[in-house]
Amino acid sequence: MLTPFEKFVFFILALISAGFTLHGFVTIIRTIRLGRPAPPLKNLPQAFWKAAVTVLLQRTILRTRKLLSVIHMALFFGLITYAFVNLMDVLEGIVPGFDLVYSGKHVPGAPLALVRAYNLISDVMSGFLLFAITVFLVRRFILKDKALTYRENVLLYPKVKAGGPHKDSLIVGVFVIMHVSAHLMSQAFRLAEGPDPWMPLASFLNSISGASQIGVHIAWWVSIGWVMFIIPYLTRSKHSHFFMAPVNLALAKQNPRGQLDPAIPLKVIDGKTFEPGARVITDLAWKRILDAYACVQCNRCQDVCPANFYGRPLSPSALEVNKRYLLKDATFGGHPELLQAPLVEKVISPEAVWSCTTCYACVRICPVGNEPMADIVDIRRRLILEGFELDSGVQSALQSLATNGNWMGKGRRLRGRWAKELEFPIKNAAEEAVEYLWFVGDTASFDERVLPNTRMVARIFHQAGLDFGILYQQESNAGNDVRRVGEEGLFEQLVEQNLAAFGRAQFQRIVTTDPHSFNTLRNEYPQYGGRFEVEHYTMVLLRLLEEGRLTVKQRLSHYLVTYHDPCYLGRYNGVFAAPRKLLERIGVEFHEMPRNCENSFCCGAGGGQIWMGKVPPGERPAENRIREALATLQSYAGNGKKQLFIVACPKDMIMYSDAVKTTGSEGKIEVRDIIQLVAEAVGVVEPVSEAGA
Amino acid sequence: MHIVVAIKHIPSIADELPVRHNNIDFDSVDFVLNEWDEHSIEQAVLIKEAVGGTVTVIGVDVIGELDNALHLALAKGADRAVKIAAEEPGADSHQQAKWLAEAIQNMSPDLILSGVQASNDLDGQLGPLIAAYLDLPYIGGTSAIEVTNGKAMVLKEFPGGIGMRYEIALPFVAGVQAAPKPPRYAPVSKVRQIAQTAKVETIEPGEGESGGLRFLKMAPPVVTGHAEMIQGTAKEIAARIVELLKSRGLL
Ligand code: SF4
Ligand code: SF4
Repeated sequence: MLTPFEKFVFFILALISAGFTLHGFVTIIRTIRLGRPAPPLKNLPQAFWKAAVTVLLQRTILRTRKLLSVIHMALFFGLITYAFVNLMDVLEGIVPGFDLVYSGKHVPGAPLALVRAYNLISDVMSGFLLFAITVFLVRRFILKDKALTYRENVLLYPKVKAGGPHKDSLIVGVFVIMHVSAHLMSQAFRLAEGPDPWMPLASFLNSISGASQIGVHIAWWVSIGWVMFIIPYLTRSKHSHFFMAPVNLALAKQNPRGQLDPAIPLKVIDGKTFEPGARVITDLAWKRILDAYACVQCNRCQDVCPANFYGRPLSPSALEVNKRYLLKDATFGGHPELLQAPLVEKVISPEAVWSCTTCYACVRICPVGNEPMADIVDIRRRLILEGFELDSGVQSALQSLATNGNWMGKGRRLRGRWAKELEFPIKNAAEEAVEYLWFVGDTASFDERVLPNTRMVARIFHQAGLDFGILYQQESNAGNDVRRVGEEGLFEQLVEQNLAAFGRAQFQRIVTTDPHSFNTLRNEYPQYGGRFEVEHYTMVLLRLLEEGRLTVKQRLSHYLVTYHDPCYLGRYNGVFAAPRKLLERIGVEFHEMPRNCENSFCCGAGGGQIWMGKVPPGERPAENRIREALATLQSYAGNGKKQLFIVACPKDMIMYSDAVKTTGSEGKIEVRDIIQLVAEAVGVVEPVSEAGA
Repeated sequence: MHIVVAIKHIPSIADELPVRHNNIDFDSVDFVLNEWDEHSIEQAVLIKEAVGGTVTVIGVDVIGELDNALHLALAKGADRAVKIAAEEPGADSHQQAKWLAEAIQNMSPDLILSGVQASNDLDGQLGPLIAAYLDLPYIGGTSAIEVTNGKAMVLKEFPGGIGMRYEIALPFVAGVQAAPKPPRYAPVSKVRQIAQTAKVETIEPGEGESGGLRFLKMAPPVVTGHAEMIQGTAKEIAARIVELLKSRGLL
């Protein structure tokens, strides 16, 4: 079809395009390799296979925004089809006589059925593509979907602020429309012998435009010319996610969710030494740099971020987008000095860094397997080392942890004091062998508001005849939140103290009250040599009931309850069933909140937030959650049942009891630890003296 | 510029104070760095950062565990750490001041800082006593000290939000109420690294009595009566309060 001169031009342009594309990829790969070593990955072939299936089924995308995700699917399959369509178009251009219209009847020996199917699919897909891209452009530029914007107080890289991401989307949107329309037109212009029933759209266009040889040439050039421009462009835009997202998914975190990557890479290459944490972008692991290229800027992570909800200047997606624009300026833009720019100046404000609750929601929801939270923790680590002025509450918590092993400024010796007020002694696991070592945790050991629940756990364990003990003053804070606030050295110190105490004790497994301790003991202590079976008390209670060591004497059907999944129990460790089964056995009327299990909404206390001295104004995540619970239970209320908000974490007890007060919901809903319900159901009561105290 | 910071290692009041044989049971109490000393260390490091010089931190090692506190000070920016190995947990401010003064005398300091008080020295004697031993002027309750050309501008706070500025010629002794900035946090990894590499100099305490007060006896307060906890609804509680006030003839 093409004239020899056109062919010549085509080859030259194709070469230039390929050159720029190659340069784009090489630059990206080089940049990624500037990052630090990441934890080693296993079973890569399987990982890639799994990622391919995930991408094909768009599994991670379909987690939220269902309708838009289905439309994205049309776009996705449309573009995949188009890769093949473009190949055919090029063949039609350069192979004389190769022409697939009219079922390929002009091509000798063409398989009729196959060509028909191809013509039909490419024709219909063109329609889908035009529709899908229009929806996305309308959403971004006409409806201006709020989900695609950032809060005023979020730090944005200058080019991001100037609308870089919008420009990117517009260019690609215009490309898809022009390219697909041009392809359709080139087909329409070819139909010199009337409509082709296997190409309905092209035939329709043909009925308006008629056939034209010149038209075919022009449309072909527009269609293929765009492709030769856009492919190298993609490597320089947010649409590098076309290539990078599947790769990133395949290389996504393999270690448990609850195990942070180390502050210094464990694998040392060429004797290179590293400072802990991240100050500049190349201090991040290479995978964190890959994240930036894989990010699609969908802002789904921002949607689920409790800090962002609270009006804090944190947006996990802005972090990734800023990273990408910084990298682009540093490489394609010729400003390598940007690679040495502090992250807290260019990609995320210090205030945002300190707002993260480490709830993992952003990582969980990200369709391409990004881990913005990991960057934040790494930045905190370095800030702490470099003497960044800490929030006064965080600082005094850390100082107390370093001297007393708890964050409340209480003496070590007072740790087991709560046990003195029980009717029976609790074994000291450091002196006597026990089956269960109960790791009580700071809040459950010291906080007056929580102590009655702690004692209730003890009474129920006692009643069930569980052989358990505690470490009294030899227990130190497990360090989960210390690590997440970025104080890696203190975390290690606490791990050493606890491992030494465990070494002095004899036990078969550990049970914790606190989901945070549960997480680090289970997922991070093994790296320091502490391999134990670790359970949360809800898991132990369920087993005691199932084994008949505890029996429900009274079913609590007079309660109407909902349950809040603590981040570190649920999303981090997948313990969703145990508390729900407990509630079922106890016989309460139970209803899920809309955000439950994996989608649970953080109470706002994690990652050191509970230590913060300054509490900014605004609706707090916990308050929002109480409202969610009230709205959930409202539709079932009216039968006079008492409404309860059930928690399984000592910190939640505090956070939500406060939130009930601050939202003025007293009398409407009451916060109870699941242990209180179990106690009531199995008939364990506080002795009168304590109840009246 | 040589700044010497005299610190105190004191029984922690995070625990309840165990009393035995008429005194604190020193074996079953943790010792910690006096919290005002955190401010004097911070103040010293801030001056050093502003005008250069060295910071020496010195303290009496009353139970043999002062190293931790000294390492912390080094991690925060002090240059030299000295301990007076006395191992006398009951040594009072008079005794400690005498030992400290003898040691500091040989260090030719330009400025001596101490925490203005400590939970076992609420009348803040350590600083004034050191000053007396060394025959130097003393100023207490400082909230900012700036050094320029052999002189210091000192901000001292008085009750009622009144602040006064003093110009004092070096050397002198200051009891630090607060550093102008909150004491910095010393990351544990840095403290531990210093603990492995840094050298703490040890000197022996001088001989001789210090005079001052003589300790006779310590006992926990005798509980003479209990507070009455008023319980019930707001109305009942209010009624009871009115009743009590009436019975005392106050209403
Ligand atoms: S971990 Fe939670 S709080 Fe932190 S950035 Fe992600 S979603 Fe936001
Ligand atoms: S990090 Fe993931 S969820 Fe967040 S904007 Fe990027 S792709 Fe979307």
